[in-house]
Amino acid sequence: MTRVLPLLVVLVTAVLFGSPAPAVGQQQKMAMILPGPVEDGDFNALGYNALKEVGKTYKLETSHSERVAVADAERVAREYINSGYRIVAFHGGQFLTTAQKLAPQFADVSFIIETQTKQVPANVWNINRHFYEGFYPLGVLAALTTKSNRIAYIAGIRLPDFISSLNAVYTAIKETNPKAELKYAFVGDQNDPLKARQSAQAMIGEGADVIVSQLNLGVIGVTEAVKASGKPVIVTTFYTDKHTSAPAVYATSLLLDFNQAYRDVVGSILKGQRTGQYAMRPGQAMSLAPIHNIPADVGKRVEAVYRDVAAGKKVVPDILDKIVVP
Amino acid sequence: MSASAVVTLLLDPELWRLMLTMAAPLVLAGLGELVMERSGVLNVGVEGMMAVAAAVAFLTMLKTGTLLGAAAAAMAATLGLAVVLGYFAITLRSAQLTVGLCLFVFGTGLASLLYRLVIGVTTATPTVQTLPRLAVPGLAEVPFLGTVVFTQNALVYLALALVPVLAFLLVETSLGLRLRAAGENPRALDTVGVNVRALRYGAVAVGGLLIGLAGAYLPLAVTGAYSDGIVGGRGWIALMVVIFGRWQPGWALVGAILFAYTEALQFKLALVTKAVPPQVLLMLPYVVAIVVLVRLYQGAEPPRALGLPYERESRL
Repeated sequence: MTRVLPLLVVLVTAVLFGSPAPAVGQQQKMAMILPGPVEDGDFNALGYNALKEVGKTYKLETSHSERVAVADAERVAREYINSGYRIVAFHGGQFLTTAQKLAPQFADVSFIIETQTKQVPANVWNINRHFYEGFYPLGVLAALTTKSNRIAYIAGIRLPDFISSLNAVYTAIKETNPKAELKYAFVGDQNDPLKARQSAQAMIGEGADVIVSQLNLGVIGVTEAVKASGKPVIVTTFYTDKHTSAPAVYATSLLLDFNQAYRDVVGSILKGQRTGQYAMRPGQAMSLAPIHNIPADVGKRVEAVYRDVAAGKKVVPDILDKIVVP
Repeated sequence: MSASAVVTLLLDPELWRLMLTMAAPLVLAGLGELVMERSGVLNVGVEGMMAVAAAVAFLTMLKTGTLLGAAAAAMAATLGLAVVLGYFAITLRSAQLTVGLCLFVFGTGLASLLYRLVIGVTTATPTVQTLPRLAVPGLAEVPFLGTVVFTQNALVYLALALVPVLAFLLVETSLGLRLRAAGENPRALDTVGVNVRALRYGAVAVGGLLIGLAGAYLPLAVTGAYSDGIVGGRGWIALMVVIFGRWQPGWALVGAILFAYTEALQFKLALVTKAVPPQVLLMLPYVVAIVVLVRLYQGAEPPRALGLPYERESRL
């Protein structure tokens, strides 16, 4: 017992007085928690690359955990904190409540979340993903391109920022081509190409000739549905430019630059600014990929709308709490 | 919604075609499992085996561009896993449920690892060409049936053709009789000089090959890409399909069709009604599976020696 006692004292002290802070001159440590595999070629790969990029830029020691379920996120984050990580990033809107719970308990740790929440604790940075602003021009593209006046929107999880994107697409369609009808579906998984394909096939069967997708890897299934249909259906996507994987199918993509977002946010944290909102929106860490497969005049108009949104000339309503599509 | 609109929705040829496309991997995996179970070997690792097959098929197709090579590589991979299952379940007489569960976990992890080792971290998702549709001349134009059945890809035709072939083999041939006897009364089979172990190994190998083809089907015929979780529970549904079919190939086909139809229908329903929450619609195929299984399992008789290792010297 006498041998065990000192160990117990150390353990209890560690629990009571928190995790070890890095000593002066010691390398700062940053961890990222990701919901999916980093080889997904999409959202998680972008997050992982951003982590590596900021690690290199600011000479941070970095670590990551992938395929972390929401229920496991708190445990994983605590392990990082107890190992001396002073910056913990949650890559994905589903981790909001975990960050909100941990932030007050670990005042010396800086957290980064990615969601559309308006208020954050004093040690949390939010990369506020204004997807809706980027999806408005995609709605304009769909409204101007459709010949059947039937447009589809397919997403995976019903996250608030996806709901606001759907609403922005609907607003754009109603303002640009009121005759067009919008059908939408949430297939329950951002990375399931099988479900996405089945949903897209059902949409195409209903006459949709433009599909605005807000899926990660699942969009591959949408592309396969288009190819299998043999119909001239156009698809827009986001996160990365997927044009080369199906040149005849993709019209454009809303590109998200997590490297820039994390560089800016982590830079602010290292300068001592522990909280804030970083707007990821047209013009800042968000851009439109080159436009293909639609008439040139429509492409120019879409780019003009995108520039107007970026400049603040066109204000897109941010409706998070309910789907306004009838 | 009027009654005619409901009928139109339920009988939409595109819905039925999609159903058959998605039923094919269930049929292939279900038949593979059925062959194993009829010989007395229970394999609950179908999901993991299909995951390995999907990864191997996709990676081989990506690197070689050979469809047959990709399917063959996937089948070879699951044949290897089936031999492992056979070694533990038949030779070592281990608990088959435990071995199967280990295979499931191992297969799921192995598939993910293989993909990572070959592809690594990239922001461009690699894709491969998927199987084209093959319209059967003269039959593709038949109303409804032509669209549903005769404009499918080659693997769907193969899956459908295997059902009567396997049914014939099981019922009408001496090999089928021996296979069934291995699952019902292996001791009786042994007493007439038939090598029960060899027969079971053969059934496990054939089952492994079919499960491999089912896994390969997903990236090669449906998605053109690999993703973690691509099998999406279809391996478990294949187990259900076997029980649904009461270990008969024809009824297993019906089970696969029922599940695939419900799965395809949910996406149609999501378009025509917003009254039902999408989460409920996503549950629909699984709810149907549970309800149907609970109902059908009553009175269903699995092979009597299913899951029981055979030991020649045992006194039981």
